[in-house]
Amino acid sequence: MHWLATSLPALAATVLGALAPGEPIDFAHDVLPLLRARCARCHTAGEHKGDVSMDTRAALIGSQAVVPGDSSASPLIERVTSGDPAERMPPKADPLTEKEIAVLRAWIDEGVAWQEGFSFAKASYMAPLKPRRPELPPAHDGRTSGIDRIVDAYFDQHGDVPPEAIDDSAFIRRLSLDVIGLLPAPEELDAFVADAAPDKRAQLIARLLGNRRAYAEHWLTFWNDLLRNDYQGTGYIDGGRRAITGWLYRALLDNEPYDQFVRDLISPTPESEGFIKGIKWRGNVNASQATEIQFAQNISQVFLGINMKCASCHDSFIDNWKLADAYGLAAIIADTPPEIHRCDKPSGVTARAKFVFPELGDIDTAEPRNERLRRTAELMTHPENGRFARTIVNRIWQRLMGRGIVQPVDVMSNEPWSVDLLDYLATQLADSHYDLKKAIELIVSSRAYQSRCVPPPDPGSGDYIFRGPIAQRMTAEQFLDAVYRITGTAPEKPAADFGDRDGDPVRAALVAADPLMRSLGRPNREQIVTTRPEELSTLQALDLTNGAVMAELVERGAKNLSREDAGDAARELVDRLYRAALCRRPTDAELETALNMVGSPVTAEGLSDLFWAVFMLPEFQFIQ
Amino acid sequence: MLYLDDASREPSRREFLKRLAAASAAAMAAAAPRLVSADDPGDGVEHPEPTADACILLWMAGGMAAPETFDPKRYAPFEVGLPANEIMSTFPAIDTAVDNIKIAQGLENIARVLDRGTLVRSHRLPDLGHILHSRHQYHWHTGYVPPQTVAAPHIGAWIARVLGPRNPAIPAFIDIGQRLDDVGEKEELKAFHTAGFLGAEYGPFLLPYPDQAIAAVRPPKGMTPERFQARERRYRELVQRSPLGESGSRYQQASMLRAMENAYRLLNSPERAAFDLSLEPKEHYEKYDTGRFGRGCLLARRLVEAGARFIEVTTEYVPFLHWDTHENGHTTAERMKQEIDRPIARLVLDLDERGLLDRTLVVVASEFSRDMMIEGIPGSAAVDQSRAKADFMQEMKHYGLHRHFTGSSSVVLFGGGMKRGALYGATAPERPCLVTENPVTVSDLHATLLTAMGVSPAMAFTVEKRPFYVTQDGKGRAIRELFA
Repeated sequence: MHWLATSLPALAATVLGALAPGEPIDFAHDVLPLLRARCARCHTAGEHKGDVSMDTRAALIGSQAVVPGDSSASPLIERVTSGDPAERMPPKADPLTEKEIAVLRAWIDEGVAWQEGFSFAKASYMAPLKPRRPELPPAHDGRTSGIDRIVDAYFDQHGDVPPEAIDDSAFIRRLSLDVIGLLPAPEELDAFVADAAPDKRAQLIARLLGNRRAYAEHWLTFWNDLLRNDYQGTGYIDGGRRAITGWLYRALLDNEPYDQFVRDLISPTPESEGFIKGIKWRGNVNASQATEIQFAQNISQVFLGINMKCASCHDSFIDNWKLADAYGLAAIIADTPPEIHRCDKPSGVTARAKFVFPELGDIDTAEPRNERLRRTAELMTHPENGRFARTIVNRIWQRLMGRGIVQPVDVMSNEPWSVDLLDYLATQLADSHYDLKKAIELIVSSRAYQSRCVPPPDPGSGDYIFRGPIAQRMTAEQFLDAVYRITGTAPEKPAADFGDRDGDPVRAALVAADPLMRSLGRPNREQIVTTRPEELSTLQALDLTNGAVMAELVERGAKNLSREDAGDAARELVDRLYRAALCRRPTDAELETALNMVGSPVTAEGLSDLFWAVFMLPEFQFIQ
Repeated sequence: MLYLDDASREPSRREFLKRLAAASAAAMAAAAPRLVSADDPGDGVEHPEPTADACILLWMAGGMAAPETFDPKRYAPFEVGLPANEIMSTFPAIDTAVDNIKIAQGLENIARVLDRGTLVRSHRLPDLGHILHSRHQYHWHTGYVPPQTVAAPHIGAWIARVLGPRNPAIPAFIDIGQRLDDVGEKEELKAFHTAGFLGAEYGPFLLPYPDQAIAAVRPPKGMTPERFQARERRYRELVQRSPLGESGSRYQQASMLRAMENAYRLLNSPERAAFDLSLEPKEHYEKYDTGRFGRGCLLARRLVEAGARFIEVTTEYVPFLHWDTHENGHTTAERMKQEIDRPIARLVLDLDERGLLDRTLVVVASEFSRDMMIEGIPGSAAVDQSRAKADFMQEMKHYGLHRHFTGSSSVVLFGGGMKRGALYGATAPERPCLVTENPVTVSDLHATLLTAMGVSPAMAFTVEKRPFYVTQDGKGRAIRELFA
């Protein structure tokens, strides 16, 4: 058991005493290898002897081989422990060991956990390339948006009902954090809640999306992660790495259409060329890390959700991409056609420039490099390349809703939970001339978005079923921006020139990462990062609890603010803090605790402790 | 105990906790890492029976010259006009507690305890074209040559992930002595002081200053324990009193509160005392106190006694300082040996006297060795980085091993199931001092260390659908001859 995981109940410790003390049963580590070795030959992937299929969790339960939660009632256990050789599984083989049986028992007793999306059966889903315009189901109860029509039909089909709608204060908090990365000020909150206009949510959406600078400074983090910009990684490099911050910031301010944005990146100007140039490492490096191979990997992953890392070394074992595909992309950018290397060994074969989807068109190896890049940008953003729009709308859906329609977001060949929804959002994006703000608007305007969060997918079930949005932890940047705003402790100046910011407080994304931001998950961007860690680790909790950066921020913030308020003024201070941090007023009980903390009159010490306590509330750190 | 633990609010707490446990386990699997083995990805992996429960890696950062320490060659004392190419070692050899082993002068204390360890002289590092400490350090600590397309975990993080803590109140992976901020090449250092794709939970608990280690497990600076406890109490009260908000995030809230509570528990556990060097009797403290590294060894001993799993203590990498001798090599090596000799020997003796050495593996290692003449290996394209080049000795700054040599390097292993008083591998007596028998790669050395700890060198986790092995390609082979 991990040193931090001690609050986990010593699950089934008695059964598993002989195995790994204290460690709960884990499907992937403990069960899957066992099923593979002892059961799979006869009960998976087309072989379903005795009508027992173990392909998926549902199939296993459907075969009535296991009763989740009750191993003693499960025929599977009966069969593997049978004393009758004719009955006992596996037949004509050694019986399972006691340890193996204990694993199976514990696994069944704990509810038959399964790895999400895992199936023994060969994948049957083939991700389409062309865009597709799905037919929209009829609207229910005034839920008329395209998203809601698709999602409602999906709920019907799964026998689910839509989650409850969120109230105005929850809405403004979530929307502000999602769209501009900032908490609303208490005055904005009050005004919004008091507003009687029936279309006030639409107005708020428009207002936030119209806040060009705040929008740009929030989404800068998302794009820096994706484009490996604002690199803070190792320096054993010999150039070839150029920041694109100026270009990126302006593109976000201007809401540059996404197809143009990508054309600027693939067929760049000197300002935007950093992305395709990659990093030139010093000394001898593996052929799969040459800058032209980085180009192949990066444009595939970021714009198409294709993992070309395996295929950069050898034909991929995990999907259909071949070494020639990776090198076909590499040949586009290479000054001279590169020699294909298999597992770092030269093959004698010279690569020819080729796009990953050759059905969209050819790239002429004989054309000059700039022309090849221009052509690649054209093919990437080709109207018939549906994968292009699907990939970005899926990323945006994941940011706003907590989980992708296709998951993980970098494996777009996986089956979406709703093909129609993905295709609808993708075609809408193309129809809007690739306006990303419109895509965001479409999603946040839906009832699906404006509903209460549901628990993250049940880890015990194999197939994901959409039930509603999933709460997300603030990113390091969102957390610090919130703390800066509330305590008045924003950094003095940005790390680079971001033009005239009208005296707005400096945002976390505009300064170099400090140890706290690092700890909370701001990456150094040596690799592309497309999702941040979802859970708070104990080392992070330690940094928040006794780390110097956090302590200094709340101390300084308290000194800025404490005015020896007493009585009503102290009450007002607490009330304001709750509205600023949580978008609600404190309950009487909370007020009592908070007042006890800040002291009367308010002391800097007390206020700093209250700041800390509020910032540590899960309610604060989650966007829900 | 969870902060949400309130029966009136939680009708089915038991059920909830069960789900929480299952969720964490499954999240781990789903988030990528999945155990497979090199031989048969379908068949799981058989972990060896451990011979050690804890491991202390004593890191000689910056390239410790083997001929000046554990693999002495022909000694040539300084004299003006001495030709550089006649210099193999700048220290004479001395006897050790083992008959057939001599090491360099300046390591008299270690010499006396060498009968408790195994000396490996045939550790061979790759030539990476351009010798950079940071790339070799990354390679040594993760088993992978950077750059990599996924973030490779430090070996301590692997051990933390697979074995977990020995004592739940002591972090499983502790790193002592290395500052990661305000030093040169800090990003390079951060790149491998990480759990990489395994996740932040398994990353190093950093204690750059051993005598301030207690501060890392104490309330923030300037906050009295009373105030700290009051703050915590009020915080719990606020959590309890908050209307639970959206029910949808209950699991996530609980997971976050668990992390907060773990942190608080660490800051309040009795084991915290292990971090406090001021509690060590004065005469004992002084035995270790040769500097930051020596005090780090003392801290490591205290933490192992309290139940630490994996600890790295470093002489600290700072470009051109300490073992990174680009000039003045002799003088610097003399000082470095003064810093490491007593505490390493003392640590081995203390562990032995306490009956802990048999189950604690102590490893002394460095990213590569040094030579007077050769950068990399003979014939390497690597650029010579000596800052005190001279064909003939003119002044003391010329005298020393200033080139980065990757052809052979020394490693010492004490306890943890290793032979006592043994020697493994050999190097040529004359330049180039390449390995002449039993070469040991980083993969094989890691495999040995992991095997001693009870982790199969062939284990892997799946990341981005492909296996990432604890030793490169799962091919690391434990060196059986080193085990007792």
